[in-house]
Amino acid sequence: MNPPNGVGSGSPSVQELNIIEKVIALEGVELLKNLNPDQLSRIATIAREVRYAPGKTIVEPEKALDSLFVILDGEVEISQKGNALTVAKQNDVVGAWALFDSDPMPVTAKTLGDTKLLRISRDDFYDLLSDNMEITAAIFSMLVKRFRQLVQQ
Amino acid sequence: MSRLRTFWRSLFDVRPGEYLRTTCMTLYLMLVLFAYYILKPVSRAIFLNKFDIDKLPWLYVLIAAVGGILAYFYTKLAVNSSLKRAVLFATIFSVAVLVAFWWLIQLNINWIVYAFNIWVSLFSIILVSQGWLIAANIFSSREAKRLYGILGVGSVIGAAFGGTFTAFTVRLVGTTNLILACAAMVVLSYVPFWFILRDQGRAIATARAASESEEDFSFGEILGNLRRHRHLQVIMAIMIVTFVIDVMVEFQFNAMAKLAYHNKNDLTAFLGNFYGFWLNLLTFVFQFFLTGFVVSRFGVGGTLQIMPLSIAAASIAALVAPSVLSTSATRLTEASTRYSFNKTGMELLYLPLPLALRNRTKAFVDVFVDRFARGLGGMILVLVTSVFAMPVRYVAVMVLVLSLGWIVLSMYAKKEYITTVRHRLESRRLDLESARVSVDDPSTIALLEQTALGDNARQSLYALSLLGEARGYDFQKLLPKLARSSTPEVRTRAYALATQSGFRDLLDVANTDIRSARPNSDQNMLRAAVVYVLTASTETRPLTALLLNHPNTMVAGGALEFLSGQPDLARELITHEWLTQAASNESPLRRCLAAMAVRARGDQGTEALHQLLADRDPSVVKEACKSAAVLQNREYLIPIIRSLADPKLRGAAIEALAAFGGKISGTLGDLLDDEHAPLALRRQIPRVLRLIPAQRSVDILLHSISHANLSIRGSVLRALNRLRETAPDLDYGSTSVHQQLLQEARYYFEMGAALEVFREHGKPHTPAGLLASTLEERLKDALERLFRLLGLKYPQQQIYSAFLAVRRGHGEEASAALEFLDNVLERDVKRFMLPILDDASQLGQRGRDLFGIPAKDAESALRDLLRSGDEWLVACAIATAAQLKLSNLRTEIQSASGEKNSDISLVARDAMAVLA
Repeated sequence: MNPPNGVGSGSPSVQELNIIEKVIALEGVELLKNLNPDQLSRIATIAREVRYAPGKTIVEPEKALDSLFVILDGEVEISQKGNALTVAKQNDVVGAWALFDSDPMPVTAKTLGDTKLLRISRDDFYDLLSDNMEITAAIFSMLVKRFRQLVQQ
Repeated sequence: MSRLRTFWRSLFDVRPGEYLRTTCMTLYLMLVLFAYYILKPVSRAIFLNKFDIDKLPWLYVLIAAVGGILAYFYTKLAVNSSLKRAVLFATIFSVAVLVAFWWLIQLNINWIVYAFNIWVSLFSIILVSQGWLIAANIFSSREAKRLYGILGVGSVIGAAFGGTFTAFTVRLVGTTNLILACAAMVVLSYVPFWFILRDQGRAIATARAASESEEDFSFGEILGNLRRHRHLQVIMAIMIVTFVIDVMVEFQFNAMAKLAYHNKNDLTAFLGNFYGFWLNLLTFVFQFFLTGFVVSRFGVGGTLQIMPLSIAAASIAALVAPSVLSTSATRLTEASTRYSFNKTGMELLYLPLPLALRNRTKAFVDVFVDRFARGLGGMILVLVTSVFAMPVRYVAVMVLVLSLGWIVLSMYAKKEYITTVRHRLESRRLDLESARVSVDDPSTIALLEQTALGDNARQSLYALSLLGEARGYDFQKLLPKLARSSTPEVRTRAYALATQSGFRDLLDVANTDIRSARPNSDQNMLRAAVVYVLTASTETRPLTALLLNHPNTMVAGGALEFLSGQPDLARELITHEWLTQAASNESPLRRCLAAMAVRARGDQGTEALHQLLADRDPSVVKEACKSAAVLQNREYLIPIIRSLADPKLRGAAIEALAAFGGKISGTLGDLLDDEHAPLALRRQIPRVLRLIPAQRSVDILLHSISHANLSIRGSVLRALNRLRETAPDLDYGSTSVHQQLLQEARYYFEMGAALEVFREHGKPHTPAGLLASTLEERLKDALERLFRLLGLKYPQQQIYSAFLAVRRGHGEEASAALEFLDNVLERDVKRFMLPILDDASQLGQRGRDLFGIPAKDAESALRDLLRSGDEWLVACAIATAAQLKLSNLRTEIQSASGEKNSDISLVARDAMAVLA
């Protein structure tokens, strides 16, 4: 498993979430909205739970991203050049596009307290997609919908 | 001798497996045309003998109006009926009507004669068109291009014999009694159709009795297209002039024939000879011996001008010396050129239109323009002969004037045609494949050549593919320029064409390409250049040896590609040592060459392919799979099958296994059944079997149709559906499909009953909510499987359309699909299918009524789900039991915690902790 961006591997959870809990957490991810529970359960098998202490940086500008994070518990501050942009909370996603694009994000994401996250690495995700065409199709469909919305706006 | 054979094959190229179909179809058309060419002179002679000539224009108007309405209703009925049923019905109905007319005409009632003539116009629409529709359903479009000529000859012979028979027999039995001879021919025509049914029963039984395109247009849409496409305006104008002139010329001919022959039987004999023999003979000669020449020499414009020019000339003769001879000559010219030159010219004129618009326009012309223009012609004649009481010779003046306008139109048509072809070519949407005629019009060919030599590579390749469709096109004059194209794709194509045609003038260019090969050169182009050079070279052996060891692997690959067609030379040049070195080389590119080399020389005395099939680089394994597929050695089966589990190798492995064909079906079946084999691998077996269109594949798949694993079951059904598309004549086990339909329906109702319980508990982001949405997914999947099963029993395409309509659930569309299923499904299937589709809120009740599935509470529903064997459902059920604190389920959950599946056991342990 690849370490998260710039901060070491984080501590694996003492008691790992079971697959149902992971799927319920993944249900809230916008990018995965088109997936049915079966498909989410397959993504859940590659999602690893990690815990971070307060003040840990999980995303840094200029550093390549290789994972998506779903916040299970706690808060993550997103800032740009020192200015706080937003605070991501439970079920929010940090680094959603990391699954498709390895370019760095121009923001910093830092935990505000003890934070529990689900981490999906891009390599695992690609391996999963290559074996599950219907998941790829569902994600494409979601991306096309978003693209359409953007065009209509 | 060989030229004679080539000529003979160009006319009669019937291949094994096509003889019965072709013979029966030719006989069918021959007999139907025989019958029609008895009926046509008989009906017209009875009319002309009974009424004055000024009544004839009214008959034209009536045929256009009443005949049009009847033809419209026939089409409406026919699109909803199977072709098999429609032919039987049309045969019985025609015979009954013919016998009735035979009796009624003897009563000497005026309106019966009108009705009879209208009926004869319908007879050709129904029986002759039906004949060509049968042909369209039993021959593919490629077969049609070869075989329709034979069917055409059969039709001409039938028509000629029908006319001659009429001329000869009328003096023996009289005009009216010939109607009975016609009825006998219609009965006889059913015999070859019966043989066609025996041979091609499924195709005929599932085909509609009228093409849906016959009514698939709306006036608004056609008028809109007419406004937009000038090309379409020209087509319509030409069609209208053609039909108006047809009516006028026929009128002059009939008027003169009536004057010349006062006796009814003599008139019938004359018309029989004229229409059946002379007209068909001349049309046949024009079509078979002149049309191709005229099209290739004068192009679309020239071909379209022949008809108006010859009619204009003949009309001058009819004007100067009106007689049965001059008007017969005009009629003969008009009708024969219409069925030959004009028909082909119009087909070409339609060609640049988009396929859908082309079909709709043709339907519009057949259904509306034809009758409208003939009716218009009839009305003009009414004005000329009845209102203004002008002599018949003045009709010739009108024909002359109209013909001159037609000549101008056809010149304009040529200009529009070229403009439209150019536009379509630029957008790569010119469809020559679907054309009913060979495209060898010189202006189209010149345009294609110009595009092929242009700068746009894609357009160039597209134009080259279209030139390949043109009959006997010689590429050689283009090759030197194509080989100097700046784009490698075009050069690749040029080398391939030069290799195929044995053209030797590209050697210098190809050698330059090979000498300047770089690691980033285009692989396909280089390989094609090498293959070409080695094929065209006089020193093949040393040159192949040299290129085989070329430092550029693409050049060496080209040499191996060449050697794959030269097994003796391959065995001589690819030594054991060469192979061993290549197979063990550091570079995966060299190892790929080793795999190709085994394909070319064979695997005797070497284990290299085993080593390459287990290579660490996927590109090497893929190449090795291809070689194993060519060698067909079963020793390689296991490593190829193993590759099925790797997504990167799966495609190549599936293709390789499918290439082994039916001889490995048994092995694949065993693997599909093997519970110990990995699921990821077993799921791919149906994907291999669907590429092997044999009964054994179907039987193996049917055996697994009720597999407990839903993903395997889905994969099996998808494979069966695909097989039914590619091999519809195989037996798809109606009984086992029916049993599985029942099982799937039961499963559907069981899942539905469980969903009823959890729908209310199913708040989002809770285990019960997850369970509810999983159950909904299970229902959707089960519905798809049900429709896939129906697709194995009923017309697949229509079942698929119904499925899409049901899934989209749009009001009218979904109701139409339900109505369709209600009409098509057997009672026993309808009993459970319709309740599934009808009203979701009644699902529980229907499940109880049909399968005795009891109403459930949360606990009993979860208990059933825990025993379902569906791992994800079991996990959801355990978590839901914990959420709802159903401690009575602890025993079942406890046993689930010992599951092999670690995900389920973790969920079960968490649940036990909650319920403790």
